[in-house]
Amino acid sequence: MEEVRAYIPETLKEALEIRSRTDCIPLAGGSDLMVSNKRTTGVAPSFDKPVLIIRNLKELKEISVNGKGECVIGAGCTSAEIAQSSVVPWHLRQAASRMGAVALRNSATIAGNIANASPKGDTPGPLYLLDARVRLTSLAGEREVLVSDFIVKFKTIDLHPDELITAVVVPLSERNFDYIFWHKVGTRKANAISKLTLSQAIKFDGRIVSDYRLSATATGAKTNRSREVEKLIIGKEITPALIEQVIDAFDEVISPRAMPEFRREATRRMIRRFLSVASERPENRVIDTFDGFHVTGQPEPVF
Amino acid sequence: MNVKLEFTLNGKNVTVSTDPLRRLIDVLREDFGCTGVKEGCSEGECGACSILLNGKMVTSCLIPVGAADGQDIVTIEGLSETEKGKLIIQAFADGGAVQCGFCIPGMVVAAYSILCENPDPTEDEIRLGISGNICRCTGYDLIVDSIRLAAERGGSIWKK
Repeated sequence: MEEVRAYIPETLKEALEIRSRTDCIPLAGGSDLMVSNKRTTGVAPSFDKPVLIIRNLKELKEISVNGKGECVIGAGCTSAEIAQSSVVPWHLRQAASRMGAVALRNSATIAGNIANASPKGDTPGPLYLLDARVRLTSLAGEREVLVSDFIVKFKTIDLHPDELITAVVVPLSERNFDYIFWHKVGTRKANAISKLTLSQAIKFDGRIVSDYRLSATATGAKTNRSREVEKLIIGKEITPALIEQVIDAFDEVISPRAMPEFRREATRRMIRRFLSVASERPENRVIDTFDGFHVTGQPEPVF
Repeated sequence: MNVKLEFTLNGKNVTVSTDPLRRLIDVLREDFGCTGVKEGCSEGECGACSILLNGKMVTSCLIPVGAADGQDIVTIEGLSETEKGKLIIQAFADGGAVQCGFCIPGMVVAAYSILCENPDPTEDEIRLGISGNICRCTGYDLIVDSIRLAAERGGSIWKK
């Protein structure tokens, strides 16, 4: 008998049954796997295991809000669908809307972007910031794990052989933040791979910072977030000295390899920009890198 | 192992028995003769192989044909037979958008994709809409102008 190269299940249940008995590679949008396994023109890509094609599973396509006020995004939702959804938190919509170009955003899925576990992935930054979880389902049941724990290290995830990622659950805590920031530094305005992306959010109680969060992509082997750094500012009033303390502490957290001086300096400036503008309590919730300077709705890089 | 796959191609139901991991671009070109689907980079960056999958622009080099089973596919061959496709192609010809022509099938699909979502796009919106389609001849300006021309000439047809 010839080997089976690919399974094309019609339902999630069928896909989970295949996962339970076969060592296979789930493939949804294909935008990472079809490139990393490609051979040449006219020749099918080569995979070392059978492929489970889950691109068209309807069960993985829904975006909703659950009873706990969390946004539940089906694993097979594309970046375009996420960018256009009014219930998806702002940081995540920003990241999805600036991932690649139109055609890629119509293929690439959120679960694929997480499972690829690239430090330059666009969605993990906001997902770390918002304490998002992945829902992992097998025939035996389901479990939920923080995205920041699920991505173990560079290109490594905590997915059991019988499981599929079926949803990403994002707490809507973002609504509680007074000021938000998301900025991607790329080599061009559109269709760029992230050189550095910062996500930030802050909440005040009077003059006192009651919550602050900061995550950075493309600044090490995986997306960086440090609760210890965030704690430095929580419960205090923002002063220039405190901002520099946060900046210096986060500089110890990140470990950019290529262009480290640039990435470190750009990170410092974006943290300084966000915290100093937020401390002035402007009217606009969204803090940009430049005041009032927009091209096609996106802030220009400040560097 | 070959698998029998069925999908709609340019409005017709078709079947093919093939390796489900072959790239959609290869099946479209080799098995169905849709050679307007061009291969540039083979990694989803250049947009030359753009097609419409269930009405959405995708790069066919990134899709295993098994994922097309039961879906609706339109290539430049099918698009050029439609009123909207003809309008874009005429605007590209009149506006001088075409030099070597290699990127143009993908550009027409991108133009269609822009205008169906936004019948009256600004220059910036057009440039964002074609940002995944690389052209090495024109410098893009005449392509952008031609998409504006297609928007103006088409008027209300883009709204339906």
